[in-house]
Parts: sequence; C-alpha cells; structure tokens
Amino acid sequence: MKATNVRFLSLIGSLLLLQGFAVTANAHADVPTFTVGWSVYAGWNPYFYMQKSGILKKWADKYAIAIKVQRFDYAASLDSFVAKNIDACTMTNMEALDMPAAAGVDSTAIIIGDYSNGNDAILVRNGLTFDKLPGQRIMLVQKTVSEYLLERGMVLNGQQAQLSKLRLINTSDSDIVPAFLNNTSNPVVVTWKPLVSQILADKSIHSIFDSSKIPAEILDLLVVRTEVLNRPDGSGVKFAKAISGAWYETVQQLAAGQPQALKYSAAASGDSVDSYKEQLKTTALFATPKSASEFATGPAIKQKMDLVRQFCYAHGLLGQGIKSVDDVAITYPDGSIQGRKDRVRLRFNATYMQAAQQGKL
Amino acid sequence: MVSILSAPQARPHAAASSSESPSPTAVQIQNVSVSYPIGKKARRTILEDISIDIQQGEFVVLLGETGCGKSTLLRMILGQEHPTQGHIAVSGSAVQRVDSRCGYVPQKYSLFPDRTVLENLAMGPETSHYHILGRLKPSFRTFRKQVHAEALNQLRHMGLQQSDAGKYPHQLSGGMQQRVAIAQALMMKSRVLLMDEAFSALDPATRSSLQRLLRTVWSETRPTVVFVTHNTAEALYLGTRLIVLARSSHADHCGSRVALDMQLPASGMSLRNNGQEFLDLVDHIEQFSRGDHLTTPSPDGEIR
Amino acid sequence: MANFSPFDIQARPNRLLSQSLSVLLFVICIGLYMQTSISRHRENSEDRVVPNARQLAAGIHASVFEPAEEDDYIPADNASRWERLHHSMIWKDTVSSGRRFFISLLLLIPAILLALHIGLFPWFGAGFLRFVLFFDKIVALSLLPILFIVFGIDEWSKIALIVIGVAPTIILDVSQMVRAVPQEQIVKAFTLDANNFDVAYRVVFRQVMPQVINSLRLNLKPMMLFLFAGEMIAASDGLAYRIAIMRRHMGMDVILPYVLWVAFLLFLIDLSLRVLNRRMHPWFQS
Repeated sequence: MKATNVRFLSLIGSLLLLQGFAVTANAHADVPTFTVGWSVYAGWNPYFYMQKSGILKKWADKYAIAIKVQRFDYAASLDSFVAKNIDACTMTNMEALDMPAAAGVDSTAIIIGDYSNGNDAILVRNGLTFDKLPGQRIMLVQKTVSEYLLERGMVLNGQQAQLSKLRLINTSDSDIVPAFLNNTSNPVVVTWKPLVSQILADKSIHSIFDSSKIPAEILDLLVVRTEVLNRPDGSGVKFAKAISGAWYETVQQLAAGQPQALKYSAAASGDSVDSYKEQLKTTALFATPKSASEFATGPAIKQKMDLVRQFCYAHGLLGQGIKSVDDVAITYPDGSIQGRKDRVRLRFNATYMQAAQQGKL
Repeated sequence: MVSILSAPQARPHAAASSSESPSPTAVQIQNVSVSYPIGKKARRTILEDISIDIQQGEFVVLLGETGCGKSTLLRMILGQEHPTQGHIAVSGSAVQRVDSRCGYVPQKYSLFPDRTVLENLAMGPETSHYHILGRLKPSFRTFRKQVHAEALNQLRHMGLQQSDAGKYPHQLSGGMQQRVAIAQALMMKSRVLLMDEAFSALDPATRSSLQRLLRTVWSETRPTVVFVTHNTAEALYLGTRLIVLARSSHADHCGSRVALDMQLPASGMSLRNNGQEFLDLVDHIEQFSRGDHLTTPSPDGEIR
Repeated sequence: MANFSPFDIQARPNRLLSQSLSVLLFVICIGLYMQTSISRHRENSEDRVVPNARQLAAGIHASVFEPAEEDDYIPADNASRWERLHHSMIWKDTVSSGRRFFISLLLLIPAILLALHIGLFPWFGAGFLRFVLFFDKIVALSLLPILFIVFGIDEWSKIALIVIGVAPTIILDVSQMVRAVPQEQIVKAFTLDANNFDVAYRVVFRQVMPQVINSLRLNLKPMMLFLFAGEMIAASDGLAYRIAIMRRHMGMDVILPYVLWVAFLLFLIDLSLRVLNRRMHPWFQS
C-alpha cells in the first residue's frame, strides 16, 4: 500500500511539476548535473556506498560534471525515469523493455551490473512439484520477474501446456511474507531475496526453482535515456564515463571484500553484513568490466533477451497499442537489431564497459 | 374569591395525605427530595421535602420560576427520574419507570416526526394492544380501522381537518402540533395527563386558543392533569389548584419547597373576567414564587 | 463582467455566469491535460504517462470489449457487443469489486444495529462505547498481517479490512445520532405503552434512519479506499487489482478510464442512496 501510494503520488507529482522541472533544470546549467535513481537490491546497493565513500564525487569532478544519486522505491524510480525526471536509473532488463522502452522513451543500458543467480525463487509447501502447480494458488507480484521466473520454471519442467491453468494472486511485496506464512492454504509463492530467506526460515517450505537455473536471463542494468547520452555538448558521454568509472571502482572494492564497501552496501537496504553477503552469493556480479563487456558483446544476451521480450509481449506488458513483439526493438553492441529497425527503443551499449576494461576512463 | 386571598395557605400540605378524600388519590408525592452531587463532597439540592396529594379529576398547575425544579418533579411523576428520598405513587402504585399510567405532552418534540398525524395518534392504542408480531393477526386490521376512526374523531375534536391526518408533523404549525400531541395523549385514556410547559413555545394568540381548548377538553372528561408552567396568568386560567414551588429567598442553598398550595375557582380566572382581583392575585402569587414567605430550615431539619 | 466581485458575499452572479464558472475548472483541467499530452507526444509519440485521445479510446475499447489478459475466453468473431461486454475486463473487475463492496455494506448493518443499542441501552453503552472509541483510532491497514491470519488472503480479508476500517466510525456516528434523539420522544413512546423493542426499532431507529443513510454516503469513499488497499495488496481480480497491474507497465490508457469509472460508480451509489433516502423518508428535514 505504501509503495503504491508513493508511486501514485510521484506519478501525479511528476505530471503536475513537469513544466516546473524543465524550468529549474535549465536554471543552473553551469555545471551539467545528472541524477541517478536506484532502489534497494543486492546488486544496486553499491550505489549507496559509491556516493558515501566519495568515489562518485571523485569521478564526477574528473569529468567536470555533477552527479546526484537518489534512492527510490523501485516502482517510483521507473515512473520518474519514464517521466524524465531523472537521467539514469537502475532496473532489470525486463522493466527496461516494458517500462521506458515500451513507453517510447529511447533507453540505453550502459552498465550490466549483475544477473540474478538464485535471488529469485519459487517456494512451495508440502513438497509440491511443477506438475502439481496448475490449480494451486500462487502468490507473487504479477507482471514482474517473479512471473517470468514462474513461467520459465514451468517451461523448463515440461509444463508449458499447463501455463494457462495457473491461478495467480497478485500480492504486494510489502505484505507477501506474512500473507504467505500465515495462510497454509496457499502452497506456492514466487519472490526475491531477502524475502526468500525470510520465508525459508520456515523449515516446511523449500525452493523448487530459482534464478540460478536460468542464468543471465534476469539482468540488472543501469539505463540512461538515449537523448541524455547523445546531448550535443557531450556532457552525456562524460556522465556515462564518470558513472562507469565510479561503478567499477566501487564493485572492485566490494568484490575484494573491503569491509567499508560491504558495510555501506548492506546498510543501504537495512540488512546486516551477513545477510547482505548471503544475498551477494546468489547475485552474479560482473565484477570486472571485462566480464560485463564480454557478456554484452557475446551471443548469449540476444538469446536471453528474446525470451524476455516474448514474455513481455505475450503478457501485454508492451502496451495495448503494440501489435507485434518486433514493435519494441532492441539493438546490441555489434549493431544487430531484434525487431523492426525503425522502432529501436532499447540499446545495449558496451562502449563504456569496454573503456573501463581498457582503462580509458 | 375573597376567601382565596385571605387564606392563601389554606391547605396544610403535610396533612393532606392522611385525611380521607372524597375522590381517590391519582398522584401521591410523599416527602420527596432531590439532590445531585456536585464535585466530590457537595450536593446541590433541587427539591426539598415535597409532599403533594393530587386527587382524581384535579387540574393542578405547578408554577415556579425557571430552575425551581417543577419540571424535575413532573419527570419524577413520569418515572423518568427518581427522587433521592421519598416516594411517588400514581394510581396507588409506586412509580418505577416510565409507563402508560401517565400521558405526556412536552413543550417540544411531542410528536414522532417520521409518522403522519394519524399514525401518531394510532400509535399508542396499537402498541398497547398488539406487539410487533401480533400485528400479523387478522384481528389487527379491524382493530386498526377502529383506532383510525377514533383518531379522526379526536382530531376533529381538537379542531383539525380530516385532511391534516395524512400530514407529517413538520407540515403543521406549532399550535397544531400541540393539538395533535394532546389528542395523542388522550387516545391512551390515561388516568393522569402530564404537561410540561406545553404551550410555552407558542405565540400568544395560539397559546390562548389552546388554553381554551384544553379547558374544554378537561371539563368534558375530567382527567387528572398536572400542568407545569412559569406563566402565572396561564396557571390561573387553567388550573383548579395552584401549587407554587420556590426556593427560600433567605437561603438559596436549600431546595425548592411548596411555597403556596391553593384552590382556584373552577371557572378559570383571567384579567378580562376578574379584573383587579386577578391582578392582585398575580402580585400575591409572585411574592410566593420569589420565596419571600419561606423560612430557612431550623438546625434539626424541621421546617418552621 | 461590469461588476467583477468574487470576494463579495452579497454578489449575485447571473445564471449564465455561475454556470460557466462551475465548468471553468473542468475546462482548465482538461485543457492542462491536453496540453501536457500534446507536448509529451511531440517529444515522444508513444508516451504512455499522459495518453492522448486515441490511446485513451483504444484503452477504453480494450477494457470494455476485450477479455482480461488472464482469461481464456476468446470472443467469437460474430460475438455481439453485449456478449463482449459481458466477458470484458471491466465487467469482470466491476463484478468482483462490487461483490466485495456490497457484502461489506451488508455487514455494516449489524454494526449499525449495535450502534443503536450502544446509543440507547445504558448496558450496551457501558460495555461497548469505550472499546469502539479506542478501536476507531486503530489504523486498520496496520492490522493486515493479523487479518491475513484470521481471514486468509482471499475475499474475507478484503471485506474484513473494509468493515474494520469503517465500522467503528459508523458505530460512533450512529450512536451519536441515537443519543441526539430528544429524550421527550423516548419518554413519550413509553407513555404510549411501547416496549423496549418498540422504542429502539420503531421510534428511534426509524427516526435516525435517514441520518444513518447519510452517514453511509459519507463513508462510501473510505470504503472504496479500503477496498482498493485490499485489492492492491493481494488479489486476482477487481478494479484496483487491474490498476495495480496496469501500473507495472504504465498502462495509463486503461488506468484513467478505470479511475473515471470508479468515480462514476461511487457517484451512482451515492445518488441512489440519496434518492432512496428522499423517497423513504419524506418527512426528513436535513
């Protein structure tokens, strides 16, 4: 409820203040200022440390720009991004496709931070198996990666024909833990960490499928509006370079187990360091720019993204007006395009990850 | 007339209950005191040692200044409030709670706003003869027809048109409403009719026409009436017996007592009929209303 | 415009002027919306945040004539408009939300009767009033985990949320109304040989009935709010469920018609209660 209120208010606010924002943004244009929105998630918490540690300021100063980092609720961050109130935002590949891209906001993913490698899971009571799921009530936040995970689990377990028989109950993530634990009549829940860990504390519940079985399908990205990136004065490129530099410096500290980095990143979501470490175990960080750019330029990403876009289209997430999956097209670093050439909305850009890899930032 | 003035305290009130009366006692008020606690220790006394016997067929007017406790006394006869000390009986049995032994006409809110005039009149007989499920019986329909006929009769008697029967109270003037309220009480054929400032909210012309109506009605059927008012002229015109309640002007911490209890001529006194005599009597009564004639209680509580 | 006097209490704008003033804000709102929509669409022809008329029309058409995405129903090519409406998304959502709403409304009847007793019977007043006063201050939404335990996550927890949310307010309100019934009326009824049942139900309840209905009218919006909260937290159908789902991908083209539809439904319920009140209680003077 709180989350939905916030996102609704933010939506209304963004509508009302639309003009106002534009005016104030122009008012102090001396130093180009960029705002990055992020939300609480194991793979995004480092943004908090990045800001607190001064790493971000260091890189911004290097490129003579200013970067602000702002924490949002996930939904509100996407709303703000689509409403163009913020310049860059953390999101999954699925939301990148069905929120900004499908809403016509041309977006570019400049950092592939990690993929969910077990953070999302399908949990069941009474040892249910996939063939028993049809007809059972399944609690999850619908139209998110949870539903994607559920479908992929069904497909990979040979239950594709049963997909339409699933009985989904859209349950707010803020209440899903007590709602599931207190209703033994609901045998299935699909959710993400740290909620998964909270639910698994009950020993009668166990996981039958998690995102480690579909590696690199649920990607966590940093997405910039393409028009920002392409600003004629070049400040957008500076921004992309600065944030990429800051990101990889941050992640390397984290991967090295630097205590401060762990402490601040855990504090970002109010977790203990232990709990955060546990979440990191199931988060496959692309800790080096090399790993990230190799993935971005490799063949796997196209294949994974195709699964995601087919899912989005089949579930109407691309919008009422979209009549073909190809109407929201994706380009990749090698220049290939998934979908119609004239309707490219989401771009994977490896330039900055590669620059980081070559130490050219 | 002269005798009234010369013997204003003719009826020794304490003795009245023991003397054998020609007509049976309708309302018996015995040594009634009322006080309320104010704060932790103090009590405020409203009425102090009131004893009044009202015979059947009497038209008693309770007169007194605002706040003297006359309405409290009326509410105790009704059963709505209870004396701190003493005893009240109506038709020979003690009053425990509000019931249909008394009819009641208050100053305001005397009619049920959600019922038409006819429904207001019929309500009493219907509820007293048939409870809610009993109304399913076929006999109820004939009974209701009778009651409605009787109610229309009563309305006509009170000077209302047949066409008024279907109206809601808010569609009637204040005077009309009080006429209906009297009719409603009379429908119950109660032994005692209690009226609390029933005409005080009306304009003078309406008020005097209702006073005339009430006197006529009373003289026809002679119900026992206890009528509370603060208007001396009204009291003198309506009553056959006048009781003035007052607090002693010498000791205002005491409760009100019976300051005056006198018989009035059955014809009804008014300035037009009685002239100077009426005015003198009004003067006389108002002295009593102020409590000038009341003494303070002696230390042992006896009233001198 | 000769005498422009918005701050004059005694001003008498003529009929035409007051009519146009009353539509002014609507026009401004629609104008602002259109302006925002046009400017956003100039920048991004696929903007979904402020859909234009064409997108809205498509959204309305999809809600009214096409089945919900999760339904298996596929309309036959020659299906009539009625047939399509009957299986449409908005129909399905309205029916399920409406059922929850009206069951809650029915469950408020015992609450109202309890209020009557609290206001009228000293024993009930002593037993319940303080507790209801306390309970009224509880923010029902914060009890959700408990509601889930007691009522499950299906229909009953949503209905319970509505009832627990508005019932204490209604009980307090109605018991105040009951207390405000003049004592004279109650005493009078007893002198007319009425028993306790008669006084409670045939004198007092009848009198406060129109006010009770007005109180319900005022509580329609809180009821809808609680219903929305419940449906957004856990549901598989309903008007708020659809809005929550549509927000996941910024389906404002469907959300806006839904919001207006809900407003219209509330207006309709309110209007019918008002008309019912006037018909049933011609004697009532507000």
